[in-house]
Amino acid sequence: MSILYDEGQLAIATESRRILDDKASTSDLLALLEQTGVYDRPFWETAIEQGWTALALPEEFGGLDLGLVELGLVAQATGAATAGAPFLTTCYGAGQAILQAGVKSVQERWLPALAAGEMIGACAFAEGNSPLPPQPMARYSGGRLSGVKDAVTGGLQADFAVIWAQGDSGPVLVLCELEGASRKAVDSFDNSRGYADLAFAGVPAVLLAEGGTAQSLAMDVLARMAVVTAHEQTGGAEALLHTARDYALTRRAFGQPIGAFQSVKHRIAELFAQVEIARANCIHAAAREGQPDFLEAAASARIAATQAYDIAARDCTQIHGGIGVTWEQGLHLHMRRARSLAIEQGNLFFWEDVLVGELSGARV
Amino acid sequence: MTDLTVYASKAREWLETVAPLYGKDVRKGLSVEDDLALGRQYQNAKFKAGYAGINWPTEFGGQGLTHLEKVAFETEEMGFGMPISYFGISLGMPVPILIRFAEDKPWVKERVLAALKGEEIWCQMFSEPAAGSDLAGLRSRAEPDGNGWKLNGQKLWTSWAQYCDYGVIVVRTDPNALKHKGLTYFWVDMRAPGVEVRPIKLAAGGSHVNEVFFDDVRIEDSQRMSPVGGGFGVAMATLMIERYVATDSSGFGPPLELFIDLAKDCQINGKSALEDGRIRSAIARNHAMRVGLESITKRNFQLMQAGMEPGPEGSLNKLISVRSRQKLSEMAIDLQGNMGLEFDPSAHVKEDWSASWISAPTGRIAGGADEMLLNTIAEKILGLPQDYRPDKGVPFNQIPA
Repeated sequence: MSILYDEGQLAIATESRRILDDKASTSDLLALLEQTGVYDRPFWETAIEQGWTALALPEEFGGLDLGLVELGLVAQATGAATAGAPFLTTCYGAGQAILQAGVKSVQERWLPALAAGEMIGACAFAEGNSPLPPQPMARYSGGRLSGVKDAVTGGLQADFAVIWAQGDSGPVLVLCELEGASRKAVDSFDNSRGYADLAFAGVPAVLLAEGGTAQSLAMDVLARMAVVTAHEQTGGAEALLHTARDYALTRRAFGQPIGAFQSVKHRIAELFAQVEIARANCIHAAAREGQPDFLEAAASARIAATQAYDIAARDCTQIHGGIGVTWEQGLHLHMRRARSLAIEQGNLFFWEDVLVGELSGARV
Repeated sequence: MTDLTVYASKAREWLETVAPLYGKDVRKGLSVEDDLALGRQYQNAKFKAGYAGINWPTEFGGQGLTHLEKVAFETEEMGFGMPISYFGISLGMPVPILIRFAEDKPWVKERVLAALKGEEIWCQMFSEPAAGSDLAGLRSRAEPDGNGWKLNGQKLWTSWAQYCDYGVIVVRTDPNALKHKGLTYFWVDMRAPGVEVRPIKLAAGGSHVNEVFFDDVRIEDSQRMSPVGGGFGVAMATLMIERYVATDSSGFGPPLELFIDLAKDCQINGKSALEDGRIRSAIARNHAMRVGLESITKRNFQLMQAGMEPGPEGSLNKLISVRSRQKLSEMAIDLQGNMGLEFDPSAHVKEDWSASWISAPTGRIAGGADEMLLNTIAEKILGLPQDYRPDKGVPFNQIPA
């Protein structure tokens, strides 16, 4: 069943958008692009003040006991604003891994700190171009972690990471404090994402899950993060839709607003369709949290939202003509974010395979 | 369970009991005439069971329920392949508009009951050779003739006109007025002298649409359903009167499961087609599109249940689903290689990729071409301006040809 947002949820949507609009500064975001390893600290402080870090955690750990629907609405607002830090999603993923792994001491150590925004968590599942390699190269043995994780989102600033590694008998999920790891910032086209190559040389780590449990937990955490990201992508695509519409109404050529030309207005109408299909998928997926078909719904949302944001970034820029490709105008913030978000939590190839596996009864 | 889910499950139970009499299995291989006869029986069975005119007033033989029950019933009915297409337009537009706008109520009630029982069918005559998307550009004309009117001209793409008893029509009564202002709306007897119906064979082989010619057809002024010059408004009301209808995210083509099954059965370069990245991508993207449309439909249905207006994104269904069906059908034929060349003209559009492919263009044109739907989204939802319109503010007979 799909859902209608209730009043509380609508208030979260409006309020988070209002707060981010108040603080939005294109020039600040542009400055972040030119520095490796710097993120938008005021944005993250706002997120903590607003309780967004506590949103999806249980009350017993200092959370607000809400879920993907509410977090998704906040993510939609951060996506519209091309917010300058990735931690909302990374902390959520790390928190979910810890919560579901069910190791009491680990939960007590990290979840209240995540809820309060005192700690930053990351998830390091991918290796090379594989979002969740069947046989990871990173090794976990005798309580210690060795190996490399490439371009971990938020890895540069995170206090700890949940890591997908190879244990003594199959893959495991472990939690590793990053103090003992070496980190190298990745110089990226979207520099506020805190991408870092992490290298571990026998760093102590705590086992969260192993065997089939590790596999299904990693997939679930990835799917949950993918739903948050899908909301973020939808928010970005929607912002671009409105930007394109507003520009087409004001820019004039050949004696009329360019939005009167069907080549332009149809492009924008198609964009509306993309955004609405992505949004409807996000609402559906968030509402399926914890249900047997959640993975299918998450994959679907991820695919629809990735397509929508890519098309929006492409077409909105095209509709702007020359001004759209200038540094100062800042549309490229979305163009860059559309690509970075398309890769974080697994690319389209990965999710298409996951979805077809679910639909055809042959899981990957 | 809500009242509505109870209603839907009772409807489903009833549909299951009558499906062996009227459903897709018994319809296989029937001629159009036999299928229509079966359809009339089914329509009559619906009437007796209380599933005809679900949201129409009881004084006209309807059930007096809301559009929610109607949509719930249609949604259940869709999967059974019942012979309902002959009555879709009749009961969807002309007959409800008759209830609203025709003056002679006892006569209207007779017509409505006959239509609900499947005894009479009404058509809707709007499009013409020179007026499709640009409806108000129509040229058929009615001229005053004593105390009535004399009708001349031609209509086109009129669905099921060859089987219709009556029709509603919009024609020009004043060529000196602005194009939207010179139109008037009537009902006509399709058996009146001077009315000639010629079926048009379509690319897919069937002939459900027609040309209708009018040669000095006499119309009484009592058949007028709009003020003189007020026909365009009633025409718009006709298109909107049953705007809550069941939708189908497969674009009225085959379900995606059928494509997945086909991919399992086919090979590409010696490997299962289901393992091929191109096929996987097509399946995944189609599924995501369908989930989106279904989620929109469910959410809008919930909004209506809560007494709110459904969102404008509901208008996306036909635009997105039918063209996707067209592409997926092409791919399904390709996938079968030489085996895909065989064609069964009587195959069902929801069960056969070739039937789906060859009739898909009709779906992208009928009931609003893709381009018009995009204009509507751009103008009505997003507030973008209309295209250059040299026909605006000009009397019809002075519009540049």
